Amino acid sequence: MTPILQLRNGTKLYRGVPAVKDVSFDLHRGEVHALLGENGAGKSTLTKMLAGVVNPTSGEVWLEGEKVVLPTPAEALKKGIAMVYQETSLVPSLTVAQNLYLMDDQSFHRLRGIYIAGQQFLQSLNFHVDPSALVSALGAGQKQMVEIARAVHHNAKVIIFDEPTATLTPEEKYQFFSLVERLKKRGVSIIFISHALEEALQISDRITIMRDGEHVVTDATESFNRDRIVQAMVGRSLTQELYGSQEGRKVRRPLAKVLSVQNLSMGNVVRNTSFSVFAGQVTGVFGLIGSGRTETAKVVSGVLKRDFFHGGNITFKGRTVRYRVPRPAVLDGIIYVTEDRKAEGFFETMSIAENIYLSAVAGGRAESRLISMKEMRTLAKEWTDALNVKAINNDASVIELSGGNQQKVVVAKALVQKPELVIFDEPTRGVDVGAISEIHQLINRLAGEGIAVMVISSYLPEILHLSDRILVCRQGRVVEEFSGNEASEETIMFAAVH
Amino acid sequence: MIAAFTRAIDNFLGRGDAAVTVPPLDGALRPNRMLDDAKSRFALEGVDDLAMVGGKLLASAGSDIHAFDPKGRWKLHFVAGSPIACIAAIGSDGLAVGLASGDILVTGGPFDGKSFHADAQAKCLTAMVESAGSLYVANGSATSAAGDWQRDLMEQNASGSVWRIELESGNSACIADRLAWPAGLAVSEAGITISEAWGHRLLRLPSGGQAEILYHDLPGYPGRLSPAADGWWLSMFAPRSQLVEFVLRETAYRQRMLEEVPQPFWVSPNLKSGKSFYEPLQGGGVKHLGVLKPWAPAMSAGFCVRLDSGFQPVASLQSRADGATHGVTGVLEADGQVYVAARGDGVVVCLPAEIAGGEA
Repeated sequence: MTPILQLRNGTKLYRGVPAVKDVSFDLHRGEVHALLGENGAGKSTLTKMLAGVVNPTSGEVWLEGEKVVLPTPAEALKKGIAMVYQETSLVPSLTVAQNLYLMDDQSFHRLRGIYIAGQQFLQSLNFHVDPSALVSALGAGQKQMVEIARAVHHNAKVIIFDEPTATLTPEEKYQFFSLVERLKKRGVSIIFISHALEEALQISDRITIMRDGEHVVTDATESFNRDRIVQAMVGRSLTQELYGSQEGRKVRRPLAKVLSVQNLSMGNVVRNTSFSVFAGQVTGVFGLIGSGRTETAKVVSGVLKRDFFHGGNITFKGRTVRYRVPRPAVLDGIIYVTEDRKAEGFFETMSIAENIYLSAVAGGRAESRLISMKEMRTLAKEWTDALNVKAINNDASVIELSGGNQQKVVVAKALVQKPELVIFDEPTRGVDVGAISEIHQLINRLAGEGIAVMVISSYLPEILHLSDRILVCRQGRVVEEFSGNEASEETIMFAAVH
Repeated sequence: MIAAFTRAIDNFLGRGDAAVTVPPLDGALRPNRMLDDAKSRFALEGVDDLAMVGGKLLASAGSDIHAFDPKGRWKLHFVAGSPIACIAAIGSDGLAVGLASGDILVTGGPFDGKSFHADAQAKCLTAMVESAGSLYVANGSATSAAGDWQRDLMEQNASGSVWRIELESGNSACIADRLAWPAGLAVSEAGITISEAWGHRLLRLPSGGQAEILYHDLPGYPGRLSPAADGWWLSMFAPRSQLVEFVLRETAYRQRMLEEVPQPFWVSPNLKSGKSFYEPLQGGGVKHLGVLKPWAPAMSAGFCVRLDSGFQPVASLQSRADGATHGVTGVLEADGQVYVAARGDGVVVCLPAEIAGGEA
């Protein structure tokens, strides 16, 4: 049987450095093909070559038995290849429906018409998103749903999903998996990139694993288990290291209370929530999307403002604070590491060194009053070494880095400001297993050094693995607290849902 | 003028002091039922303070001091003749008994039969502790009696003081004043630590230095302090609530309440609430189908906090809104056991120290 899509001996060089080296990949009609590998393994570059986002330095793309050239994503889409990106590529100032119908052949659309059609289409996918809502007002999970809907809407023969489920709730994931099943039945072929290995094992027919830009193995899903995948991805078994057993785990004792949030309110999202964060501990925060955990963290760090009237009280190191912008919070020592790194985490066209140095300057931590290239280089070297950022050099743009390395730059930007409270929002979202381990070690090290650390995560094993105490959010407030050594996935989920 | 204007703005916007918030019970103060779940419970009506003298556990209740016998019974040990405010061990076999009149009697030990007085105005003794030949005495208020603590809170007084009495000479000196109801004392190498109830904080007075705040914004009213194996115990005799915090900011309402409403029915914290249906109710605390939810906002609860050597909370023993160990006024750790006196419910509970001390 001729594969619907094929890459033959594909190589892609960036500044002479290979991101993908002589890789051959094929996708059969109506199959779900999982593509796995660490960040920087070359998965995204490989799929971008197939979707016309980047052109291969050498090698050929074959579609339905014919050699094709895909100079642009639009050309690929015309030929039936759609890609759903890891970081959303929607236009934030347009509505959901307008985004769905963007790039349609028709020059003009009647707004009401596309809202009605959009509503019907989204409902057919079981995605509960208002088609008339502005994309900028949507949460990360809903944006991902619109992104998926857009790809499906174009009736693509091949859909490439890059980390589609990272921001979805368990219910939304369930809807997504049934959608994949439905697309499969219609003969659509799917390439599925995910770091959630269980998902790949659950929904794929075949699995391809890459490492350092090279093809490692392709085989039927039945022949894999979690350990074999991880071993192939990183060359060693990391499962236990990453999310090992909780038995006998010693939670760190709290030091001084650093942050006290009392009856904090912000619109309908954060509702009268109260909690404390202590130095020397990792405080995990779990909640489903819409539970107000991110918004609470953003209010604490000055990104969002609490209610003007009776919005509650925040005390940081014994002092009542109310930040209207993030800068005074940063100067006081509160750092929020965003979940949406592409939009809020870094300046994508700037280099790694510039990003890190800029953060030091903004936080008042730069030694020199004038811009010092020497200090910039020293800082960049210090932090890229400390966090093991893999890049050609520190002058490389952050946008050129893989997701995991981008996240490390975002973390470096935060830590260069010498914080006393660090709030990590989804610190390992879209990050490969190798980098997850490094980020976890870093978080533990920070707590060990006596810094107060808050980790917001939707991934329960991560919360359980990292946290000394776990706060569960529901409907805009903290509803339950568990000690790190007594919590289980079931108890946390029960508190988050009921 | 500017302060008054700021206050008016804060009142309008509900921020600053007018935010009417109470810190949550979390971290080491995470709600639990350990006091109610304790298997050893010994009833003693009016029990208030505890001391260990000559290997015996003594408890003050009303005008008497009772000794605990190993069979689990209370025996009358000493009759003071007037209400006892607090007690403290002096050395290994002496006992100082602070009376509601302000007099301090000593029974047993090298100072047996002696009596002391911190000051003529000091008639609100709340806690005592002996260290290196000196007796440190906390005087809760210059205007209220020890039993009238709710009025002192509602009047928002800060007229308390701490005194040092030389046991040999009987000389006394004030070492701190203008305190908002000092209710507990602990002496360590670093200085004297005071729990300031209405300030919801622990203060340390280092010898010859500025007072420093060790812990602030407690979710209850801190009371007596006592030593633990490698730290301290702090009793909190009542919880803070948003309703009380609100009433404390409403001067006119509070004044009328003090003048017109009988004291048992004030909107104020209590050692034990729910005794009468005339008591003020909060929506969340109304019984539903005869059941009071443990998380209901309550005027009383049981709190006993384990502090580390730096006076930071590491664990707590609690009795929740629906519990039966409310109004903890004294804690004592001895012989691997922790004894907790809950005056609100008239009971002393006993727990093994390794369970009570959490992970400390």
